[in-house]
Amino acid sequence: MPILCRSCKATLLAASTMLAIGLAPPGARADIPDENYRPVLEHLLTVVVPPKLDALHDATTDLSAEMDDFCAAPDQDGLDQARKDFHTAMDIWQEIQPWRMGPLVANGRDQHIEYWPDKHGTAIRQFRKLMFNKPAIYTDREKIANTSAALQGLPAIEQVLFDDKLSAKLLGDDEDATFLCGYGMAIGANLERITGELTAEWPDFAKSMVEAGPDSMDYPDAKFAATDLYRALHEGLLIIATQKLARPMGDDAKDAKASRAESPTSKRSLRNIAHNLTGLFAIYDGKWGDTGEEGKGLAALIDSSLMDRSFRLNWQNVIDALGDLPPSIVELLDQPDGYQKLADFAGQISFINSLVENDVGGTTQLGGGFNSLDGD
Amino acid sequence: MKQKRREFLKLMGLGGAITLLPLDALRAATPTAVEDRAVYLSTSGGDNHDYYFSAFNAMGKVLYEQPLPGRGHDLGLRPNHVDVAAVERRPGLYGLIFDRHTGAVRAKLHCPEDRRFYGHAVYSNDGRHLYVTENDFEHARGVVSVWDAKDGYRRIAEFDSFGTGPHELHLMPDGESLAIANGGLQTHPDRDGRTPLNLDSMEPNLSIIDRRSGKLLHQAALKADWHQLSIRHLDIATDGTIATCFQYQGALNDQMPLVGLWVPGKDIRVIEAPDNVQYRMRQYCGSIRFDASNQVFGVSCPRGGIITFWDAKNFKFLTHIPVPDGCGIAATDRAGEFVGTSGVGSGWRMDAIRRKRVELPDDSLKKLHWDHHLRRIPT
Repeated sequence: MPILCRSCKATLLAASTMLAIGLAPPGARADIPDENYRPVLEHLLTVVVPPKLDALHDATTDLSAEMDDFCAAPDQDGLDQARKDFHTAMDIWQEIQPWRMGPLVANGRDQHIEYWPDKHGTAIRQFRKLMFNKPAIYTDREKIANTSAALQGLPAIEQVLFDDKLSAKLLGDDEDATFLCGYGMAIGANLERITGELTAEWPDFAKSMVEAGPDSMDYPDAKFAATDLYRALHEGLLIIATQKLARPMGDDAKDAKASRAESPTSKRSLRNIAHNLTGLFAIYDGKWGDTGEEGKGLAALIDSSLMDRSFRLNWQNVIDALGDLPPSIVELLDQPDGYQKLADFAGQISFINSLVENDVGGTTQLGGGFNSLDGD
Repeated sequence: MKQKRREFLKLMGLGGAITLLPLDALRAATPTAVEDRAVYLSTSGGDNHDYYFSAFNAMGKVLYEQPLPGRGHDLGLRPNHVDVAAVERRPGLYGLIFDRHTGAVRAKLHCPEDRRFYGHAVYSNDGRHLYVTENDFEHARGVVSVWDAKDGYRRIAEFDSFGTGPHELHLMPDGESLAIANGGLQTHPDRDGRTPLNLDSMEPNLSIIDRRSGKLLHQAALKADWHQLSIRHLDIATDGTIATCFQYQGALNDQMPLVGLWVPGKDIRVIEAPDNVQYRMRQYCGSIRFDASNQVFGVSCPRGGIITFWDAKNFKFLTHIPVPDGCGIAATDRAGEFVGTSGVGSGWRMDAIRRKRVELPDDSLKKLHWDHHLRRIPT
């Protein structure tokens, strides 16, 4: 991201505001040729995403191995390392989470990796029962895959590693400790298997998207395939706004409840959003960390450099605002003005989402639709 | 399971080998291509907030466009008659009766000041009465109005729909009762007439009323946890089985069923597609139609750009066919075959059994955005 001078920022902010209120894309314009969408598909799906899926698989493999090591001789250092590996796996998962398409959602895979949102507290309820009954299937590295999605992924291992009462038991040598260790190892192995499947299945899916055309039953043209990328960007922001922020915020400060946020036990709900935003911006920009190339995502379809620069600037403002907040809503709401800060940040997410809907969706011609926007 | 598959293929008139034949080859072998003479009716939109009642033939050639005062939605076909009823998309004020052959306006419905049309209308089998879903917005009450087609489309009665936000309605096979999808959404014209005002307390249901007395005969709802599944559209098989589809008003990432089957007197039975298809339905179904065999039904999901197909007899998902912004669907005269239209201006003939999609060839179809529902007139 190039550094912008203060006056440039002011100009671009003013420009973006004008765009957002309706001076942006005129109704009548030439269609973007279908072939223009294909390089975007190719770059994002075959260059950018695969290394990230590999990184997720590597991170869950490390987490699984660390659980095995820790459980062979439980001590605080081992627990700390397992927690660190959990965070590494969760960081990369949160970057991938918004790319909800193809093998990521097939067979409920995203929910098996992270059962969320859990509005009814299913995981906690089942977890209590689990600790009471200690069924052997939950310590079986293969059979655990056949159990409830709520009890076999990242939120489940989060409970094992971060819940104060349970993690203390992990360091003991009683029946609870043996079960929790066996359970944690089984979850680690399960996550390694699921992410391995995801990595293996992605290339065929990416190929079907990139080869979109009249001969494809699944993607009749490249624009149709690229719409899934736009949807991932748009819906990812909507989910942050309506699920990750609005739910814990409640109706007002009195109604706010940090436990309704994502990953409350490991206290990383806002850290999750930061990583979501990294994965989402890659859809627009084409560069994801050290992978990919700037300007080869949806931005390649934007023919206005002013719009592109203003969008980037506004996105950076969101990132900067988030950088000033603690990693979790639990900690933020403990601050005297924490609720207001959270509300301000939610407003920024809504604004950037309006830019996606109006500017990105309009200019790339991937947003909306006569029937899909109808609501009847 | 094998027996069920055999039953299904038998009903479809298919064996294993013939399923490999391309759609065109099958059609070419048919001595009388009734479908080729079919006419399709739908509402549509232009690029400048201009809206039409339109017709096109089986090749996709637009036959006429009749301007509408505002966006339309569905059409009601008067049996054995030229009349076609078009009532405005909710919150609608106009109701127009067109000549199906020419598009000429034949009559108008006058919406009472304290009512709004909700986009769907259906005629009685004798063509005498037209039934229209409406919103009694001051009382958050769903209404079915009754209009006498033989008396200049005079409004002669209205019945309670037994729910809020009624949407699609159909005549049951007995010809004497009406099935109504009460979407459960309360709206008010003072608040734009479309924004839901009761998301927390929605109570959608399917109701069947006597078309002469308005008496409630049957009613079913989904379980309380699913109260935000707005039951908006339905179609009815000749045996009285009701296929219905939903629009979820909750979160994008909640896992919700979107399709159900209801045999009046029993509970609504929901069916789900495999995860990767269910996800692509994106919590929103726009139209539902049974095929000519009454065993297969199609459900369009324009937000996900797919049409899904389901087996009503065996309660299972069959397949899906991607159609960008596709929503309008109508059954052809062939088992498992549908014609679908799109908001991006295209039309397709789709075969749910062989998973085939053939674009209608005439380019004139592409100049309009085709709306939510499509009706077929065999000729």
